[in-house]
Amino acid sequence: MQMRVGFFVTCLVDTMRPRIGFAAIRLLETAGCEVVVPARQTCCGQPGFNSGDRKSARTMALKFLAEFEAFDYVVLPSGSCAGMIRVHYPDLFRDDPALHQRFAALAQRTHELTDFLVNVARLGKAPGNFRGTLTYHDSCSGLRELDVYKQPRALLATMPGVTLNEMVESTTCCGFGGTFSVKYGELSTRMADNKCKHITEAHANTIVGGDLGCLLNIEGRLRRKGDHRTRVLHVAEVLADVEPDATG
Amino acid sequence: MKNTSVDFKNQVTIKLADAKLQDALSRLQSRFVEGRSAVISEIHDLQETRDAAAGIRDRVLNDLEHWLLQFEQQATARGAIVHWAESGEDVNRIVAGIAAQHGVKTASKSKSMVSEECGLNDALEQAGVKVMETDLGEYILQLAHEAPSHIVAPVVHKNKEEISDLFAEKHQLPRKTGIAELCREAREVLRPAFLNAEMGISGGNFLVAETGSVLIVTNEGNGRLVTTLPRVHVAITGIEKVVPTLEDVSTLLRLLPRSATGQSITNYVSVLTGNKAKEDHEGPEHFHIILLDNGRSKLIGGEMQEMLRCIRCGACMNHCPVYQNIGGHAYGWVYPGPMGSILTPLLGGIEKSPDLPNASTFCGACSAVCPVKIPLPDLLRKLRVKQLENGMKSRQETFMLRAWAWLSLHPAIYALATRATARLLRLLGGRDKLLHILPGASGWTDGRDLPAPAGQTFREMYQQGKRK
Amino acid sequence: MNARDKILGRIRDAQNHARAGNQMDAIASHLEQHPRGPLPPPPDDLVACFSERALKLSSDVLKADHLAEVPQLLARYLNERQLPMRGVCWPSLAGLQWGAAGLEMQSRPARDDDPVGVTGAFCAIAETGTLMMLSGVETPATTSLLPETHVAVVNPGRIVATMEEAWDQMRKECEQPPRAVNFISGPSRTADIEQTVTLGAHGPYRVLLILAPL
Repeated sequence: MQMRVGFFVTCLVDTMRPRIGFAAIRLLETAGCEVVVPARQTCCGQPGFNSGDRKSARTMALKFLAEFEAFDYVVLPSGSCAGMIRVHYPDLFRDDPALHQRFAALAQRTHELTDFLVNVARLGKAPGNFRGTLTYHDSCSGLRELDVYKQPRALLATMPGVTLNEMVESTTCCGFGGTFSVKYGELSTRMADNKCKHITEAHANTIVGGDLGCLLNIEGRLRRKGDHRTRVLHVAEVLADVEPDATG
Repeated sequence: MKNTSVDFKNQVTIKLADAKLQDALSRLQSRFVEGRSAVISEIHDLQETRDAAAGIRDRVLNDLEHWLLQFEQQATARGAIVHWAESGEDVNRIVAGIAAQHGVKTASKSKSMVSEECGLNDALEQAGVKVMETDLGEYILQLAHEAPSHIVAPVVHKNKEEISDLFAEKHQLPRKTGIAELCREAREVLRPAFLNAEMGISGGNFLVAETGSVLIVTNEGNGRLVTTLPRVHVAITGIEKVVPTLEDVSTLLRLLPRSATGQSITNYVSVLTGNKAKEDHEGPEHFHIILLDNGRSKLIGGEMQEMLRCIRCGACMNHCPVYQNIGGHAYGWVYPGPMGSILTPLLGGIEKSPDLPNASTFCGACSAVCPVKIPLPDLLRKLRVKQLENGMKSRQETFMLRAWAWLSLHPAIYALATRATARLLRLLGGRDKLLHILPGASGWTDGRDLPAPAGQTFREMYQQGKRK
Repeated sequence: MNARDKILGRIRDAQNHARAGNQMDAIASHLEQHPRGPLPPPPDDLVACFSERALKLSSDVLKADHLAEVPQLLARYLNERQLPMRGVCWPSLAGLQWGAAGLEMQSRPARDDDPVGVTGAFCAIAETGTLMMLSGVETPATTSLLPETHVAVVNPGRIVATMEEAWDQMRKECEQPPRAVNFISGPSRTADIEQTVTLGAHGPYRVLLILAPL
């Protein structure tokens, strides 16, 4: 039976790089899923939640529940937002057993994109024809909250044109951290700078990751330092190999 | 020690520009992070052991009153005198009183972070007691009149050359350059201090309730010397350090040195119980144990209690990308890194450390290595909740949070706003599709460009059927 | 109210333990049973495991067939390193033929300038290559602490697998823990300067373990 997947594009991808959303949908459809994009979706509430605003985070969680509870699975092209739903939504409703249970059940069915493709949809081969030498940055939430590490590498390994050169400390934070990147800009920039050094030392022409926030941070620092050559791509873009200019 | 954590942001700027510090910090990362990683896998079932360790700490914390009473009873039965201190000043007063009672003029001291909380050394000097720090790192700091920047490696911020200069100046001996020579010189200078001290002051890594013992872990041997040679021993530690049994201590000991310095075990583990028997050749005649509260009991039974599990291994700071880039002094009090960003506001007052709970990306590297599984990012987030409740967030931030929440709950307006944003940013990005400045976000654009968006949002393109 | 009552009172109020009796029972039962946590898998060969771990921690390890060989082994060890041939030993080892091996050993606790200290050990722990020493009149702690060379004569029959077994051994043989139990795992060291490990901080520069059946 075809799996019905509710796709949450995330606020950052929605506004900053829609291409990633279309790439993710292509991957999900290749894996045989029926993909539905609820039209009223907005933000998962993480920025407020991480700034100490539990109340608004709860309201947004309820909105999310209403929009996504009916699907077989919920998939997001972001470890950070998926972590919000899998780990923190249930925690926000510890005082309400009925809701807590519903959020716990939703959490079980919610996946970061590559985790879903590998562990649920069992996508055997990535559809894209991407060619290049990549290095992979492991974004923190996906890695430590959801154990996403092998999944993107397993998918990239199915692509004959892709060579993966691991950078050192691929699991060290790039310094993004949401509002941290603006509030503690200097510190955030230094962390991004360390990451860029490791990327350069990996001798890859493309840096790939699973969270757009980190990628904007890394790309922003690379460009500021004068590196206009290294491509910065979301793993979905590589796996689906969506033509960069077709959808902007 | 004075809490200067309010100055965190300025300190970040200073520390990021300090080339010597940056060099020193890179060493810490390679030695401690790689060191831990090399030996932690020796533990047969690491996750099970971490769970057990967290369980041991929770067992005590969930009934701290009775475990403390049990410890006190056992320690007293063996001849130790147990003192209770509400604050650092209490500790200083008690130690000065003990010194006066026993006619003590000189004390040798092994490393104790709790004594740093109290500012004990200055207080004792004022009371006419000469205190000699004997842990090599702490000794160097005492000579340099500096505070520790790491709870395990207190002098990590200094390099060999600085220490060579310091020793040459203070010891009035020819300048040494080799690390082994420097260590030998410190050993020889400190030997008389060990032999002549009338009082030894130590911390306590654990208090064993079963036996009434104070347990200390050391590598240099100074901990053993200050608790063996002087006729008075004063151990100072926090009330949360109780551990039920020797078996429980063993579980924690498998994790502590491996997490801290990448050692399977520290050179010395000393379990000290009671004072010297009449016929003994050695050991203190008087054993005083001071249990410091200093804000800890307020955490019991509350949502921050998990912080009291901490066994002070320092793994969280060693693995923290923020600590790795700024070192310990920027945090402004005794405890740096993630554990310090929680303890400093909790023990010193949340209003005095506005930045510490926020200066984290929530990357989670700290809690991933914490031997007692403290959910450090969750605790930092809870402090942010408190800050918001207490009105500590700036008006601008509060407004932005509210506006974003409101927008997110109104999808139609959200759609208009994001479309406008995407178009505006696309426009500002110009031909190279990069924004070099962005009003209100200079924190970002001072050091980075912002890659410009495509100009249309995903949702509008999806609705228009522009699917690929 | 004194500090003790205030601190304990705050904790009591926060935890609101109505069932103090049950709490004390739970504590008593945990203390009585002192359950073990997760243990390392038992080694195939305790002596081999102990020696291997001890070497890793920079101890030196020698084997003797008889206790009587200890003075000769020690003399050779000190000679090879051009170390002084004198020191102190625990009373239980005073009867060995030190003089015949060219060593000058006094049976007394160590003083500052004694170059060599020879001790036994209560037992040894294989999991980390650790000596377990119990302080006492006959087993002074300074002997393993003040001299630059610490020599421990270890009975291979008293090597146990884990710390937990060592505690049980202590409970079996001693009425109560001595003033000081010391685990010793190699020569004293510091890494405070540039995180570079340097042997010989304030305690011994070297630890020689001589495995000798008693």
